[in-house]
Amino acid sequence: MIPNATSTAGLPPRAPFRLPIRIIQEGGITAWLVEDQSVPVVSLEWSWNGGGALDAPGQEGRMGLGFAMLTEGAGELNHLAFTDAARDAGISLQFGAGRDTASGSLRALSESLPEAVRLARLAMTAPRLDAPDLDRVRARAIVGTRQALETPRGAANRAFWAAAFPGHPAGRAATPESLAALPREALLEGLSGQLRRDGLQVAAAGAISEAELRALLREMFGTLPAGAPAPLPSLPPMADFAPVVAHKAAPQSSVMFGQDGPLPADPQWEAMQVALRILGGSGFSSRLMRRVREERGLTYGIGAGLDVVFGRAVILGQASTDNARVAEMLALLREIWAGMAADGPTAEELAEAVDFLNGTLPLQFADSRRIAGGLLGLMQNGRSPAWLEGRPARLSALTVADVAAAARRLATAPLRVVVAGQPVGL
Amino acid sequence: MPLTRRTAISAALPLAAGIAAAEAPARAQQPAPFTSRPIFGAKQWRLANGLRVVLAESHRAPVVAHYVFYGAGSGEDPQGIGGVAHFMEHMMFKGSGNVPSGDFSRLVARQGGQDNAFTSRDVTAYYQHVESSRLALVMRMEADRMAGPLFNPAEFEAERSVVIEERRQVVESQPRSKFREAFDAAMWGRQHWRGRPIIGWEEEIRAISREDMLAFFSARYAPGNATLVVAGDVEEARLRELAEQTYGLIPARAFTPRNRGEIPIAPAMPRIEQTSPVTREASFSRAIAAPSATWGETRHAWPLEVLAHVLGGGTGSRLHRALVESGIAVAAGAGYDSDVAGASIFSVSATLRAPNTREALEQIVEAELRRLVQDGVTEAEVARSIRQTTAGAMLALDGLGAAPRMLGGALAIGLPMEDVEHWPEKLRAVTTEQVNEAARAVLVNPLTTAGWLLPA
Repeated sequence: MIPNATSTAGLPPRAPFRLPIRIIQEGGITAWLVEDQSVPVVSLEWSWNGGGALDAPGQEGRMGLGFAMLTEGAGELNHLAFTDAARDAGISLQFGAGRDTASGSLRALSESLPEAVRLARLAMTAPRLDAPDLDRVRARAIVGTRQALETPRGAANRAFWAAAFPGHPAGRAATPESLAALPREALLEGLSGQLRRDGLQVAAAGAISEAELRALLREMFGTLPAGAPAPLPSLPPMADFAPVVAHKAAPQSSVMFGQDGPLPADPQWEAMQVALRILGGSGFSSRLMRRVREERGLTYGIGAGLDVVFGRAVILGQASTDNARVAEMLALLREIWAGMAADGPTAEELAEAVDFLNGTLPLQFADSRRIAGGLLGLMQNGRSPAWLEGRPARLSALTVADVAAAARRLATAPLRVVVAGQPVGL
Repeated sequence: MPLTRRTAISAALPLAAGIAAAEAPARAQQPAPFTSRPIFGAKQWRLANGLRVVLAESHRAPVVAHYVFYGAGSGEDPQGIGGVAHFMEHMMFKGSGNVPSGDFSRLVARQGGQDNAFTSRDVTAYYQHVESSRLALVMRMEADRMAGPLFNPAEFEAERSVVIEERRQVVESQPRSKFREAFDAAMWGRQHWRGRPIIGWEEEIRAISREDMLAFFSARYAPGNATLVVAGDVEEARLRELAEQTYGLIPARAFTPRNRGEIPIAPAMPRIEQTSPVTREASFSRAIAAPSATWGETRHAWPLEVLAHVLGGGTGSRLHRALVESGIAVAAGAGYDSDVAGASIFSVSATLRAPNTREALEQIVEAELRRLVQDGVTEAEVARSIRQTTAGAMLALDGLGAAPRMLGGALAIGLPMEDVEHWPEKLRAVTTEQVNEAARAVLVNPLTTAGWLLPA
């Protein structure tokens, strides 16, 4: 009906991707900035190494609960006054702790930025942790922990990390028991070890000038105590384990699979990213999506990619399927995985993957929140602005042989698998 | 590791998402011109075949969002084949006249773009985010499938399996989704358009034939029943030209307009209890049928948004104080969405905190609802709710998807564009008396169901 519907012949060449990143040093704090005055919105993202990694065995969830308390009252503001101050001005201010990082996030209209900065500073320097609020937030966290295990997917995720990294903080997570046992003093101790001026990484984007950002950094973080949070333990190789089955009453099983991945500084990092894009990247064109979903109808979604934890990547993938067909899907998954490791990509697949990864850059950096988040991710992986600028050229220079060599690493260790549900025949 | 999905989502963006400019203009007389600036400053026009085109221009980054909304969702599914709107959404990726199966997503990805689709009760929408110089390509391909998808028979059964796996993943493996589905069916009836799941009952998904799908397409997917929304880096003249060269080639055709029919006067079941072997907490839900911005006493729609915030809009709301701060519940809230086609619901939910009893929680909820009807809300509560709901309204400018989702979602259910462009001003005009009148009219509606999801 529409002539030449799929023709790309008349399209102009894509404009080279540019992101004007400035690096600001102020009072010992480093921040990356992308200024854009076109919309009156500012986003800020910041993080430290630490988070759950700093929780002792038996105190899992300490930093997560401590960080959840930061927006529950600070300084002269009780929890209601604090929440109202933020909501009256349309400010989004959030704190959280992950496996290996603790982080903050702020987004506000320009006119509300001073108030947002005041609240963020109060939260980090004078959190109240009033007893009734701690009781309420702790109860919510305990329920959240239980609800995370209600689904096969949540259960698979928990079991995978526990099996992959036994005895390491990466393998531990909050439980109702550990959360219930945490005294207020332990939370305060955790917060004081984490909320430091050193070891802090900050990214800002939107309607904020360099001078304004400098002032913001001084006001928001300048009074935090010096000295970095305790260093992260390194991540050991993933434990080798036979497929683990976590029983969960559900009509469908969730499968989580993975392997060790490269260090961010590994020269094959980008070749591995391309290999995984072809094997299990987002969208509908990866080998796993085509063969497991589109051809066989075995799953609603399947994918795999790199996740950086404790300074190193792990390769992680996930899919769900009918309990009766788990064995069939696993056999197919292993076959596709091994095929990629053995044969690498075709020239067409390589070209498609590189075109996608290069072409998607402008979309990944299209609004202030995504820009700030993207910048912080680059900082956490130890990248420089020049690394981002050179990425399209490096990706375009990759050959089939380069990506095939990286893909061979997928065969150097068995694929670790956890299944949660009521799988048949495993 | 984001897995891309073609998702069935029930709530598109409710208008109330944030806050706004500090001005609080006095409301002028009747067909008052708006004193606020429109949020997006969008323009709209129609092609000769009836297709509505909306442009929200923004040259901040060299990217565009391209959305097509059809004015048909699961609420239009014919009796006995619930889920056809959603299953069809999946099959729309299986090729059209000049686009081979699978090529749509593959070509978008090749250009660095993202594409997906979603089905709600009211609309089915297809969208792509691409670099702005790639807009022509996605417009040609989207227009080609508007002109005529293949619904390739060879791929029909595998895709049906995908939909059934989707149902197992997003409904049956999740106790709270499963309960929500049973709750809606209890309130409205399993075959009522509001009581059926968007994704469909499994036996009905299995019953859908290719002929059913072709019939649904022919009845609902005409240019005149569609809204194209483009947001981002494109000039009006260029979009007009591209729209004529692509969608403009599709002939006008007749379509079946939305007709949701009656709603029951009483619930199929006033009470429902469901147990789950995997859940540990008891949670309570209560829903009351309510007017919307498109149906019934529409003047109550904006006031009901305020009422829901006063009752259960998080910290500081009445339910938060009465249930969460008192230690009776772990979480509690109220919800209302004015922007739906046909009847809406005003709802309350809460998760019980041990060792309190279900009776205690439910009594408090009922007492709070009674208090709203008898005593109403205060001026201070209304002012706070309006302030907090509108304060962040302009944050919608910071993102490519907000404009098309808000504009397309509203236009596709028959609302005027001003309801989106000037929503903060409209909400600020709500008075305490209007909120109290809405509470008295709606909270006593006999079409209501209460239910518990319980640990086994």
